[in-house]
Amino acid sequence: MTLAIILYTGAIGLLVIGLAGVVMSSHLFRMLLGLVIAEAGANLLLILAGYRWGGAAPIWQAGQFPTTMVDPVPQAMVLTAIVIGVGVQALAIALLIRHRHYSGTLQRTGGLNQLQADLDREAGVRHTRSSDAPTLNPLTEVEHVH
Amino acid sequence: MSTEWLPLVVALPLLVAFLLQPLAHWLGVRAERPSPVLYGLSLMTIAATLWITLQLGSDVIAQPLSVTMGGFNTPVGINLYLDGLAYLLLLATQLALLLLWPAGAAVRTHVLLLVLAASSMGLALSGDLFNLYVFYELLAVATFGLIAASPGRAAPLVSFRYLLLSGMGSVLALSGIALIYSHSGSLNLADLSMLAASGEGSLPIAAFLLILVGFGVKAELFAVNSWVPEVYSVTSSRFAALLAGVVSKLAVVMIVRILLLLFPQPEATDPLLLLGILGLVSGELAAWRSNDFRRMLAYSSIGQLGMIFIAFSLSLELGLFAGLALSFHHMVVKPGLFLLLQQPLSRWRVVLLILFALSLVGVPPLPGFWAKLALLTGLVEVGGWLNGVAAVTFLVATVVEAGYLFRIVQRYYQEERPIAGSTSSTVAAVESPWGWEGGVALMLGGVLLAVTLTINPVTEQLQQIALQSGDRERLISTITVSEVE
Repeated sequence: MTLAIILYTGAIGLLVIGLAGVVMSSHLFRMLLGLVIAEAGANLLLILAGYRWGGAAPIWQAGQFPTTMVDPVPQAMVLTAIVIGVGVQALAIALLIRHRHYSGTLQRTGGLNQLQADLDREAGVRHTRSSDAPTLNPLTEVEHVH
Repeated sequence: MSTEWLPLVVALPLLVAFLLQPLAHWLGVRAERPSPVLYGLSLMTIAATLWITLQLGSDVIAQPLSVTMGGFNTPVGINLYLDGLAYLLLLATQLALLLLWPAGAAVRTHVLLLVLAASSMGLALSGDLFNLYVFYELLAVATFGLIAASPGRAAPLVSFRYLLLSGMGSVLALSGIALIYSHSGSLNLADLSMLAASGEGSLPIAAFLLILVGFGVKAELFAVNSWVPEVYSVTSSRFAALLAGVVSKLAVVMIVRILLLLFPQPEATDPLLLLGILGLVSGELAAWRSNDFRRMLAYSSIGQLGMIFIAFSLSLELGLFAGLALSFHHMVVKPGLFLLLQQPLSRWRVVLLILFALSLVGVPPLPGFWAKLALLTGLVEVGGWLNGVAAVTFLVATVVEAGYLFRIVQRYYQEERPIAGSTSSTVAAVESPWGWEGGVALMLGGVLLAVTLTINPVTEQLQQIALQSGDRERLISTITVSEVE
């Protein structure tokens, strides 16, 4: 039973670490890595949901009964989820490469400022930042003051 | 036509999507070049699915049907389930795709749109939780590709940010599904709802919350909707119309299905109501503050979806009807507004814009009024302080909505002050040609007026569909009867 608790804690811990990584990183690639870790946590959780302690592998052999086997459905689902995850991650990296190509940075704040400016320009409105807005890049802001 | 044709609705677009690239290679079409042959083939595929749906769905409102896949009975195998609601969603998806399909697009766009078509129809039809998840992911990936393919330097970053949010949502939803599975050992919706109806061992509410937040990303639920203004201002009008009109509703309906069938506990609807109110307030206020047309519509769409979530959180009969009415109304009006953006506003376009705006605000003879009235009477009838708060917020939000929508109209008549829109000058002195987008917007306006004239029969049909989709016994009996011999 302690093993089960450790495994569940591990899976949920991975999920939390991953989500925290997505929220707290300031680098786009690290945000993606956070997502990958969270996905691993969710997959582990799914595997644990169908695991039967002391069960055999779900392969049909003479003299074995399905009741003594590990539930194969979550394993099939995790396989699907892993495949989807790999595809999405590859796509994300391709997008990041293209973004880097356009803007020259993978920092979150720099990209975000540029994004807002781009969107405003395309919409034809003046790009304004509130004078109360927190300074996102202290180094460049200081030059304005002097 | 036998019901075995139903899976073709999902399979056919997928098949054509995979064949399109080799076909383009064989025909010698360059990847970036538009090709009328491939365009025609894609449209014909969607038209074929529309035909199948029409053939099968003529009497689903009386008797829903379920198709077992792969020769396994339902608790083990998977099934497709077609009821009145799924039928309407299928028709809406197919018609929207036919009308909004970009003619001069590259091969890749056709492929992605076909995948989008297949996955949205699968989402509407799917009868078990894991298939819902798979189709949802497929839909998401197709959307990322289509966003990234739009012109402009901002597109990759917008697409990446959407991918990250959507990926987080999927992880949460997957954990919710794992929780349900470890609790019940099944993923079939009928099986699970039988368990929920029997009262023994109701599913944990945390699973619903995880699924709500997870799938809520596409449904523009509050707090996971930061992608909405960015995506809608980067993509083309047609694609924004498709996303705001159809895809968001599919996600909403999916969440509502799960809520209705699996979680009869009263506590499950409270978070829906709360997040709906927050979405309504934040969306409408952001729309009021924004000064370009596109982002205004995007934020307003968040507010409208909040309203729909409030409606679905009400008790069964009242809420379902109001929610469906609001959803279908939004499905007509919001694409219409997005499509009007494509060209500068001129005299007749403004008339159409006023018609859409009036209906969205809820001015009496138009359908929007009846939908909003249903929601308001529902809120008052159910009572309770949270519903009271929702009713007051709803009325205030309507005033705000009227404020910003008519600001656009006002700017047009002041003429000296052009509106900042998608094009550099949104106000034109001369009537520009309507084009395809304008034509579709005109048609949507016509639909709105037609519904206004036939409001009674439409309401009755919708009420029947609402009753049917809330009917748990009917779902269970339909799915268990259809088992393979």
